[in-house]
Amino acid sequence: MRSRKDKQTSLREAVKTYLPNGSSISFGGLGARDPFAALYEIIKQGVKDLTLMTTSIMDIGNILIGAGCVSKVEGAYVWIGSVGSGLNYRRAVEQGVPVKVETEEYSNYSASLRFLAASMNIPFMATKSLIGSDIPKYNDKIKLVNDPFTNEPVALVSAASPDVVFIHVQKADTAGNGQIWGILMNDPTLARAAKKVVLTCEEIVSTREIRKLPNLTAIPSYCVDAVVKVPFCSHPMWTAGYYWCDLPFRRNFMLYNKTQEGFEKWLKEWVMDVKDWDTFLAKLGKDRLEKLVQMERDNYNIPAFVYEGGAKR
Amino acid sequence: MIAEKYSIKELMAVSCAREIKNGERVFIGIGLPMMSALIAQNTHAKDSVFVYEGGGVGGLSRRVPWSIADNPTAENALMIHEMWRLFSDTQAGFIDRGVIGGAQIDKYGNLNTTVIFGKSGNYKNPKIRLPGSGGANDIGSSTGETTIIMQLEKGKFVEKIDYITTPGHLTGGVARQRTKLVGKGPSSLICQKGIFRFHPQTKEMYLDVLFPGSTVDEIKALIDWDIKIAENLKEAEPPLKIHIDIMKKYDPRGIMLGAKSNEEEDFDEFFETMRQAYKEVVLDF
Repeated sequence: MRSRKDKQTSLREAVKTYLPNGSSISFGGLGARDPFAALYEIIKQGVKDLTLMTTSIMDIGNILIGAGCVSKVEGAYVWIGSVGSGLNYRRAVEQGVPVKVETEEYSNYSASLRFLAASMNIPFMATKSLIGSDIPKYNDKIKLVNDPFTNEPVALVSAASPDVVFIHVQKADTAGNGQIWGILMNDPTLARAAKKVVLTCEEIVSTREIRKLPNLTAIPSYCVDAVVKVPFCSHPMWTAGYYWCDLPFRRNFMLYNKTQEGFEKWLKEWVMDVKDWDTFLAKLGKDRLEKLVQMERDNYNIPAFVYEGGAKR
Repeated sequence: MIAEKYSIKELMAVSCAREIKNGERVFIGIGLPMMSALIAQNTHAKDSVFVYEGGGVGGLSRRVPWSIADNPTAENALMIHEMWRLFSDTQAGFIDRGVIGGAQIDKYGNLNTTVIFGKSGNYKNPKIRLPGSGGANDIGSSTGETTIIMQLEKGKFVEKIDYITTPGHLTGGVARQRTKLVGKGPSSLICQKGIFRFHPQTKEMYLDVLFPGSTVDEIKALIDWDIKIAENLKEAEPPLKIHIDIMKKYDPRGIMLGAKSNEEEDFDEFFETMRQAYKEVVLDF
């Protein structure tokens, strides 16, 4: 059983401890709560030959692939959403640049069900997706069978248990009870499916604070191996209630990303030559970060859940 | 009031929005469908509920989402699921319509968003790697019916697609029914030249509406099979002024309508535009 004690550490330690070459890896969030600080640390440590297990992934997947850390993707989607094409993914699959990436194709639902199966400690899940498509044709880990009870066709997908998952949340206590506001993706399930969970958070709060709104606790401490406080971890994406997204940063990345040389130039400037996360934030500038915080504050607050019954009648 | 001026891309977004009927529960895929959802939500489909793969149900936001789990898909939402739960609800038949994009399509509406093989390529070594299914396969399999939105270009509407990412009507007729897929499959397709629909029996795609500036001959030349044309081919219904205003309001930088930046984007300028735009959106709920 994982201990209830203080699990705080640094990202450097967490990556060094839990992510040897050849691991399978997943990330929480998507377009919000993406753990960029963890991504940059993985690239800096030069971890290689990773299997990326994912549903959909955007910038984090592309940057990890562009940096040559990934040899296989088991997932449904790697692109940059509406912001642009997943050129790193294209270069890796089409030309083997910088490293050939093998693909094992799923849909978002079937990829989710693989994590759900692992989180329930069962070997597979059944779905009515995938039938009639070519996804099972090129993926021999998907079985098209007839349901033994009704004889109707179903697709079976095997459980997927990543070696490590990095999940960013708004608040956590030092034991790793993580509270999320906003989109969930599959994060509560991923935390249970993975062998090791590294939880990053905007704020460390007391366990007393966690107990006030237990419904917000999406990640229970018994899943969590390491807790790291990393403010602005999701930049240039959002963390709901904390800061707004920095779209110009992503659009400027896309300008560099047209070629592998351009990507490597960007990587050198924003990752390799940046000593640590504080230096990264200083490079962005206090003014920029404050604006992102203010924008989110003006737009959308996390309300307190309070009883208003008697007084408001 | 009809809009005095509009682009073809805006007409596409509005035409797609008009496919959404009031009260429908609609699963919105990535790209232009997100703009269509906002148009529908703010005009004729106020009772509809829009859901996104990241888990947001019925969100109300001050700008168009840039991806399927972007915060605007969850802000002021009715509820927020995990992804697997929302797709389970879809598989259980709760969602009436899906709106998805595509890269390559055949006459029965089977879609490819995974790989283009090219002359000597294959799945493992393709000429062009595309994003993959994302949720498209699941949306196309299990929502009540689907609306597709994509560009019509040479090589995209083909006799045989390289890879079926999302099943349409498979080989036509009752082929899809036989598979026992939950949803009924594609019912309409919007491109920059017009709107296509699918024949109720044969399930073959035909041209139903022609957009301004396009001709039937030009469309025929771009499609690899002999595309059927509706006997009463219609003209496009133009967007209303309110539709254009909504797009400008929720996408002030024109990002969803295809404005690609070729210069370094200035943070302060971007931030100021968005701040002003946010002020103008009054969330009415």
